[in-house]
Amino acid sequence: MSPILRKLSRDLPAMLGLAIVLFVLVIAIFGPMLAPYPEDAAASHLTRRLRPPSAAFPFGTDNLGRDIFSRVILGARGALSIALTVVSTAMLIGVPLGLIAGYRGGWLSEGIMRVTDVVLAIPQLILALALAQLMSPSLESAMLALSLTYWPYFTRIVYAETRRLSSSLFVDALRGIGAGSGRIVFLHILPNALSPVIVRATIGLGFTILVAAVLGFLGMGATPPAPDWGLAIAESRTYLPRAWWYATFPGLAILITVMGFNLLGDGLRDIVDPRIRRSR
Amino acid sequence: MLRFVVRRCLLVLPSLLGLLVITFLLIRVVPSDPAMAMAGDAATPEQIERLRQQYGLDRPIWEQFVSYAGKVATLDLGESAFSRRPVAVDIAQRLPATLTLTFCALAISVFVGVPLGVVAGLSHNAWPDYLLRVFSVMGIAVAAFWFAIMLQLLFSMELGWLPLRGELSPTIQRPPRVTGFMVADALIAGRLDVAADALRHLVLPAVTLSLGGLATIVRFTRAGVLDTMQQDFVFYERAMGYRRWRLNWIYVLRNSVTATVTQIGLLFGGLIAGGVVVEAIFDWPGIGSYTVQAILTGDRQVMLAVTLLIGVVYAAVNILTDLVHGVLDPRLMERG
Amino acid sequence: MTARKKSHGPLLGRRQAATLAAGALVAGTLRSVQAADASTFVSGFALPMNLDPHQVYDVPMQSMMLNAYDNLYRYQNDPPQIVPWLAESHTVSDDGLLWEFKLRPGIKFHDGSPMTAEDVVYSFRRVLALGLAPAGAFLKILKPDNVTAPDPRTVRFKLETSYAPFFAAIPSISIVNPRLIEPNVKNGDWGKAWLASNGAGSGSYRIVSAGYRPLEYLDMEINEDHFLGWSHNPKPVKKIAYRPTKETSTRVLALLNGSLDCTDPNLPADQVEQINASKIAYVQKDVVMRTFVIRMNNTKPPFNNLNARLCFAHAFNYMGFIKDILGGYATRDPYPMPDNLWGIPKDVKGYDYDLKKAKEYYAKAVAEGAPMKRPLELHVQSENEQSVQGAQLFQADLAQIGINLKVVGNIWSNLTTAAAKPDTTPDMWVHWVSTYFVDPENWVGQMYDSQFHGTWKASSYYKNDQVDALLRKARAAVKQEERAPLYEEAIRKIMADSPDIWIYNSMQLQGLNKRVKGRRFCTVGQGAEIRWITLDS
Repeated sequence: MSPILRKLSRDLPAMLGLAIVLFVLVIAIFGPMLAPYPEDAAASHLTRRLRPPSAAFPFGTDNLGRDIFSRVILGARGALSIALTVVSTAMLIGVPLGLIAGYRGGWLSEGIMRVTDVVLAIPQLILALALAQLMSPSLESAMLALSLTYWPYFTRIVYAETRRLSSSLFVDALRGIGAGSGRIVFLHILPNALSPVIVRATIGLGFTILVAAVLGFLGMGATPPAPDWGLAIAESRTYLPRAWWYATFPGLAILITVMGFNLLGDGLRDIVDPRIRRSR
Repeated sequence: MLRFVVRRCLLVLPSLLGLLVITFLLIRVVPSDPAMAMAGDAATPEQIERLRQQYGLDRPIWEQFVSYAGKVATLDLGESAFSRRPVAVDIAQRLPATLTLTFCALAISVFVGVPLGVVAGLSHNAWPDYLLRVFSVMGIAVAAFWFAIMLQLLFSMELGWLPLRGELSPTIQRPPRVTGFMVADALIAGRLDVAADALRHLVLPAVTLSLGGLATIVRFTRAGVLDTMQQDFVFYERAMGYRRWRLNWIYVLRNSVTATVTQIGLLFGGLIAGGVVVEAIFDWPGIGSYTVQAILTGDRQVMLAVTLLIGVVYAAVNILTDLVHGVLDPRLMERG
Repeated sequence: MTARKKSHGPLLGRRQAATLAAGALVAGTLRSVQAADASTFVSGFALPMNLDPHQVYDVPMQSMMLNAYDNLYRYQNDPPQIVPWLAESHTVSDDGLLWEFKLRPGIKFHDGSPMTAEDVVYSFRRVLALGLAPAGAFLKILKPDNVTAPDPRTVRFKLETSYAPFFAAIPSISIVNPRLIEPNVKNGDWGKAWLASNGAGSGSYRIVSAGYRPLEYLDMEINEDHFLGWSHNPKPVKKIAYRPTKETSTRVLALLNGSLDCTDPNLPADQVEQINASKIAYVQKDVVMRTFVIRMNNTKPPFNNLNARLCFAHAFNYMGFIKDILGGYATRDPYPMPDNLWGIPKDVKGYDYDLKKAKEYYAKAVAEGAPMKRPLELHVQSENEQSVQGAQLFQADLAQIGINLKVVGNIWSNLTTAAAKPDTTPDMWVHWVSTYFVDPENWVGQMYDSQFHGTWKASSYYKNDQVDALLRKARAAVKQEERAPLYEEAIRKIMADSPDIWIYNSMQLQGLNKRVKGRRFCTVGQGAEIRWITLDS
């Protein structure tokens, strides 16, 4: 554990990322206790609509008079849960499929990649719409739709990397000394293919939160009065550009959170990649 | 090489069929009734039933699918419930606009992103790398329409350099349609002012759309460069004294771009569907806004056709991507 | 350029290309970016789904067809009056079954051919044959063979039954040119496919087919030979460029920098201040006839219980919504109809926001076994921020009296489909009822007569036999003096039953460029008639 942490601690952006991720986690867990107006998850106060940031309301108020600062804090939970759920589900499905398709070759490989092509081509919006109808619109239906349309990205990356690596010298050497396929794939190919996977996963965290915002606006995701960051940005659209604080603060929250994940992801990638480990 | 291409094309057909089946079923789940959408708000239940029979919507689902698949094979994509035109005509009219936007955005992402990614990778853990990592994340994390509005406020309102919306100024005479691509048609008609107007309208939407792709490409190129720089053959080549600049660009690029090329392929297809937000903000008359309209009015024919279109585009781009991979690493083509 | 080897690879080529492109941009920029032009009106009005006035009849279509087409009679002025337009007069028999309209002489279509009564007959027969939205008011009472042209300037209608709203609905039918449509008919479709993308009218402006992309843009140019002439307007608009703008923020910015001469008429109240503060634009307020109503599905418990419905009617913060969220840009209207229309029983008061009373009705409802604790759904149109805000406000107030309301985002086409059956209709949903024609039938008649169950207007599934009888009698009578008391009585009964929650009558807000002069407002068409407008530089 400690050699990894020590290496990580030398990477400044990665440490910043780690700090951000931990910060957001804390907010997500302790949100209701930290927010100055926790009842603003649902209540409305018409007399203080669309107030600019002030001492009482550091991020201003929204179109129903709710404190944006509190709602940003309360929204951390939803954002984290949808981002982590979608990306990890997509990885759990996509990475193994990519490994199998890339290593095996033949009809199995072709079959998997054709299915991947088909799923890749399904527009997320339409799948999300269909699921929203089937399971009634909610954060869950949006999560399912996004997971089901995101795994092909991982499969394609892992497939390309696995193919590239399977034909490389060291794999031939491993086969030569009698290593079994499973060993080769999981102990040697996977760690090497992990680098772009981690990058894609961290990117995916950001995209997921933003796509969830579009879905929320079309009524296929988080619904009012949920303090969802994406929903807040979608709701803010008709009040721009005057009520700039309405979109800016939830937007900043998304920005910082995603930045944290990405910086941390970069740092982890640098550590996990065996070649870099060797040369450093 | 030719065998490879032909084989890949043939393999695509079952995917497209699969896509068609899945989408047809998915869209069936959408509750809005196409007959009602066509009949309009003031219609009576009898009028709606008449329309339903007229369009064969009361026949069993598999019959509807077979008849639809048959039509698709002859490129008859049905009629849009809202525009009342053949969907194929609507798509043919709108596709050039989306393609123009997508290509420009992709060009910006690639030609700005790849060099930046290389710089980040080569200066691993020095300040250019740190800066680029932080700024590239902003590209992914910033909501497209917030960024678009900032661009509009700065370049359209404050500076007045660029137009706010649309493909062409309202008072400019549209050039006769030859290719469907606005800039090309303007040049063909010899109207340089129209071409310039169209280019000016292209800037803000393309820049907004390029943002996510830019960030992605910077990051993947950086990762690929880092991987390559650590490989043994690079070590040997440096030891053997190849001049540094040759080493940096040609060799490193060739071996780093595997993942980046894959990403470009994924991006392209994603841009067509993902241009939805950009097309809405800038009123860009392309496929993205067409799709949203179809969803909002429950226009199933259009949704099906757009999904198919995206499927075909993805298939084409994937084949191209595989080809490029093959060129970069001929070993891959032997197995494929 | 340096003599260095191409270490920059493709970048150098890019830089050259970029310089060229920048040059082109700058060259183009020497002209002003704002495309304001002295005789082109750039309109931010929404476009109808397609251009055929016999296939679509909604608010955007009303705005478009007023410019490209003409009708026998037309609504003008505020308050709306129905005035002769293509027709110069009409007569009606005493039993209300035979109507005759006398056409003006000398009217020409855009292609130069003269308009005769046969063309009017063709238009009405086409509407009936297509059987789509505009036919709604006519299908039950008019057979195609009963529209005839006894002479080239007279059109005769023989109705099946007496139907007072017939005359009120006459302006909804545009007169089209059969000589342009017939050559383009495919498989007996009455030219549906062709007219959806082209024009065949006689109106003040002519559609330019090459300048049309569905829902994206439409160009029109002036018809100098319009039958009414242009003597009333020395400097009319020569070209109309419809450029509907999807995002509110873009629309407002476009108004503020002069790229749009008007926004669409649904400007959010929160944008008013900024526009009025600018030098270039202002916000025009007009009272329209457009009610905002929360429907309750009277077939689903607890909404089948009167006390439950009364509880909900007292739990909505009407004035808070109007004053604070809408900025005062709406008028409180507790009636199921616009309160500026005849037929309102002025002595009935309507319901107020009173949580104490709401709690009392809640208790009564519970005592009668109504499931007040069951989680309820209120469906809103996600695209429309007013409906979302109203719903959230309601949700917050209901929570205070212990009712669990979930706000569900949905879209219009799904909602109207769902409203076709009582079990798929949501517990509650929000919508407006616009002026399709100016008559109580448009609101009360079509919303609360049980014969309309299955349409979105009647989605509260209200059934009251006495009300049915009153509404049917009112529909068949011809004179307003006979009909008004019937509607008043019906409305009294309806309000006592409180099947829905009636909130406001709309005030239309539209941003206009200060150079737009001469605009005339009428609630039908929302002030979209361009023939009166001059652009003052």
